[in-house]
Amino acid sequence: MSDVKLPTHSHAISALVQNETGTINRLVSMFRRRGISLASFNAGDCEQPGYSRLTITVNGDDSVLGQTIKQMEKLIDVVECQDLAPDDRVMREVALVSYYPSQISREAVLAVASEYEAKIEHDTENCLVLQYTGPVRLVEKYLEAMQTFPVREIVRSGPCVLKVSDQ
Amino acid sequence: MEALVRQGVDTIFGYPGGVVLPLYDEMLNWPQVKHVLVRHEQCAAHMADGYARATGRVGVCLATSGPGATNLVTGIATAIMDSIPMVAITGNVNSAAIGKDAFQETDIQGITIPITKHNYLVTDVNDLPRVLEEAFFLANTGRKGPVLVDIPKDVFIAMTDAPFPDKVERRGYKLAGAPPVEQVDVVAKLIAEAKKPVIIAGAGVIWSRSWESLRELAEKAQIPVINSLLGLGSFPRDHELSLGMMGMHGEAAGTLAVQEADLVMGIGMRFDDRLTGNTNAFAENAKIVHFDLDPSEIGKTVRPVAWVEGDLAESLKMLVPKVAEKRHDEWVAQVKKWQNEYPLVVPTGKFLSRTVLNSLNQHAGAHAIFSTDVGQHQMWTAQFIKFTQPYHFLSSGGLGTMGYGFPAAIGAKFAHPDKEVWAIVGDGGFQMTLQELQTAVEYEVNVKICLLNNGYLGMVRQWQELFYDNRYSSVEMGSPNFGKLADAYGLKYFQCSRVEDLEETLKQASAHDGPVLCEFVVEMEENVFPMVPAGKSNSNVIMDPALTNGEDYNAVHASWETGHGRRVPGAESEHTSDDVYASGTVTK
Repeated sequence: MSDVKLPTHSHAISALVQNETGTINRLVSMFRRRGISLASFNAGDCEQPGYSRLTITVNGDDSVLGQTIKQMEKLIDVVECQDLAPDDRVMREVALVSYYPSQISREAVLAVASEYEAKIEHDTENCLVLQYTGPVRLVEKYLEAMQTFPVREIVRSGPCVLKVSDQ
Repeated sequence: MEALVRQGVDTIFGYPGGVVLPLYDEMLNWPQVKHVLVRHEQCAAHMADGYARATGRVGVCLATSGPGATNLVTGIATAIMDSIPMVAITGNVNSAAIGKDAFQETDIQGITIPITKHNYLVTDVNDLPRVLEEAFFLANTGRKGPVLVDIPKDVFIAMTDAPFPDKVERRGYKLAGAPPVEQVDVVAKLIAEAKKPVIIAGAGVIWSRSWESLRELAEKAQIPVINSLLGLGSFPRDHELSLGMMGMHGEAAGTLAVQEADLVMGIGMRFDDRLTGNTNAFAENAKIVHFDLDPSEIGKTVRPVAWVEGDLAESLKMLVPKVAEKRHDEWVAQVKKWQNEYPLVVPTGKFLSRTVLNSLNQHAGAHAIFSTDVGQHQMWTAQFIKFTQPYHFLSSGGLGTMGYGFPAAIGAKFAHPDKEVWAIVGDGGFQMTLQELQTAVEYEVNVKICLLNNGYLGMVRQWQELFYDNRYSSVEMGSPNFGKLADAYGLKYFQCSRVEDLEETLKQASAHDGPVLCEFVVEMEENVFPMVPAGKSNSNVIMDPALTNGEDYNAVHASWETGHGRRVPGAESEHTSDDVYASGTVTK
């Protein structure tokens, strides 16, 4: 499946940050203070010990984006950060959905799930959990389809983005 | 302590408490570092700030955990808004107790994240040498700012053999060097094309020590130079191209010049709202060019057509040789005409704050360091004290911190024992930090306090008069008997309420060897003009009504014409429109 374009006002920023006490707090505080609304925020270990790679999606026009990048770069913890255009990135999101098996038609739910190649991660008498990973737009379509059945809970990871480069 | 000495720190301002006891104990072994015991931690931060602004070096303050640390907050916020190099060291409870709501525990790192350039919580003593070295480096390089280092008590006590690093390296912190040459070329071309250029020079010129280059640039291409509030001193006020401060309470000539200019060059300043007025109507006829060290300032509030990112020390040096010698005689004549038409005025027959400050300028303006609080007296200081050198004006421009002036003056005096230092304060602000009188007396800090007592929170009162229909709400300020107060603290006191006594008071205050409190009992209802109402276009500048209402006044013309402050008794203004004040519009 190919990556999809976010709406024009949404940007995916990838950042490499040095891990210290307060690093995430400092980033989130900057966004809040400057009134930049975060659509998602994702952080995790990466290939470099002591550093994390983040994915942040923000909504706004180019001037908001420009300020966001500049303000992030100003933070001492931020080693690099860039707005990745759809052609320069792979972006994926994980969605987990759970059901009470007694409240659904198992066959019908699994039929939809298999269209998306979603996997069963937990399957007991009282709880069925399905996992789907894909581009954001398909995650949204998938969740829309899965919500035609009475859902117990949904959780989304928020997108993760990785820069692609052929050089 | 070793880290402080390595950094050449000679003075720290602080207040002890439980968790910093190990540091205070160690301090006794390091007599080369003077510790100044303040009476409130907020003032430790302001003193460190005043020390930094008066020297260009890092100011250091120290507080204990909990309330000690939180008391620093206003001072740190003051420093970040004006990009002041400061290292604040706080103690915290033992590492094992952090997060358990221990006695005097507070999350000062979390609290100060938005108001520091960077901050640290050091949990391993082996990190301490590196962190302290980094803290000073970060505070004093690039766009300067306060850095806080929070150190738990057990880390203070622990010993380490970890060496200090030879060099500070942070992958996420790169210093701006010289700008791309193309950016400079574009600006040189714009200057060559311009017919009505102006420069607005900010504090960046001072912190990058680029005032010589600025002067060369201005003289070579004959460009009038305006200052932002904190840029005062970056260009001498007695220079014929100097227009002083512009903006909300700036001098009219500068404000009008920017509205009329075809090229506005912001250099080391950030197009702050108090300077630009309504940004949509700011410099409408001009191409805007912006020089700044911090890329995030470019395009933040106004849209420049060209910009130069990088250290001004490099960029201005690159620009000057590329600019051809040029004259703008007609333009400069126009600007001077505005200066003559709309001078600063001191109405006669009353004892006003302006009367005092104009006199203080003649008395000490050329050599003394001045600090201020915030409000009317701050604006009058910016207008009437004709700063000719950098590092001589200490004022909270960004945060607008009342109570800043007096402790900042103490900090500056510790840095410059041989200089005359005046704290210009109002009765409101002074009452916020006057407990430091004890510090001044105890350390025999020879600061002169010019207390302009008008019995009001003057600026708030002025806004209530002009924009809230004279409905005065909580602006009347009672004060203690300042003479008795000075007696109680044991410092010299003068009171003056007549023009006739003014010069003698200032003379005696200067001559006295020790701290002096000079209380000037001034007219209660005096307004700061010119004035651009908040959010309005700078073209809507309201001129001083004294220019048109027939009142007698002394006009204070640009000092290049006549030396400090020409007196023109009862001069008639050429500007005759009676409705200047009422309509708030000047027709050019």
